[in-house]
Amino acid sequence: MKGIIFAILGGAFITLQSVANARISLDIGTWQTATITQLTGFIAAFLILLVIKDRNFKNLRQVQPLYLIGGTFGAIVVFSSIMAIQQIGVTLTVAVLLIAQLFLTFIIDRKGWFGMDKQNMSLSQILGITMMVVGVVILSL
Amino acid sequence: MLIGILFALLAGSLVGLQNIFNSKVSVHTGSWTTTTLVLGLGFVASFLIGLLVEGKNLFALHNMEPWYWVSGLIGVGVVTCIVQGINYLGATFAISISLASQLAFALLWDSFGWLGLEKVPFTSQQLIGVMVVVAGVLVFKLGGKKHISA
Repeated sequence: MKGIIFAILGGAFITLQSVANARISLDIGTWQTATITQLTGFIAAFLILLVIKDRNFKNLRQVQPLYLIGGTFGAIVVFSSIMAIQQIGVTLTVAVLLIAQLFLTFIIDRKGWFGMDKQNMSLSQILGITMMVVGVVILSL
Repeated sequence: MLIGILFALLAGSLVGLQNIFNSKVSVHTGSWTTTTLVLGLGFVASFLIGLLVEGKNLFALHNMEPWYWVSGLIGVGVVTCIVQGINYLGATFAISISLASQLAFALLWDSFGWLGLEKVPFTSQQLIGVMVVVAGVLVFKLGGKKHISA
């Protein structure tokens, strides 16, 4: 039960974050918003690191350099989701965003890119993606 | 409308790619070192692009409200809850619930127009749409592992 509450809250926070960014950008601008929210998030995460003494910066050397730059995508993610929410609202934005996210992960798994274990396509994955697309079509009619 | 959908597709693809990259980092360093790195780089990239696009305007924060400064803390809430959820439930189940929860809260947000966003009237069509997407997410994530040869 505890786990379910955490997972539900996690999802709620993800949506809240996108909505808060869209709201803030109306006042101070989109890039200003992306810069400030990620700066405060960075500072908070860094402070938590200091407190929990779970610093593993040395281990970063063991990571293939390409994977270290994933964070830079955050700039485009925040910018794009703000633009999307302003154009099509929160519900449709989140629905389309989730489809793109799951579909790309699905393709990467299937092709075994980035050293992922190559997975075969399963019927439920195809059915799931089809249902998601049908749902988005219903939302956007 | 199309442009909004394209932006959402772009954001979603990058989130998917970022999740994969981050999981590769996290294996070696743990979730908080990864989160610190990811948000730090996101900040640097946004700052540089912002300077390029906006110039000095990047520093002109009109109508700044105090809570805007701490909105980034929501991200800390995200990581804490997802990490805990995965600890209790395992990745597949926890992520499935959080995806469904994202959509449910999105619909709530549009319907109530909280935080002064434009209100999108709640209709049964929207509810059905969200339920079909949620069902699709659950089938995708939790469906049997029976593979078809391809």
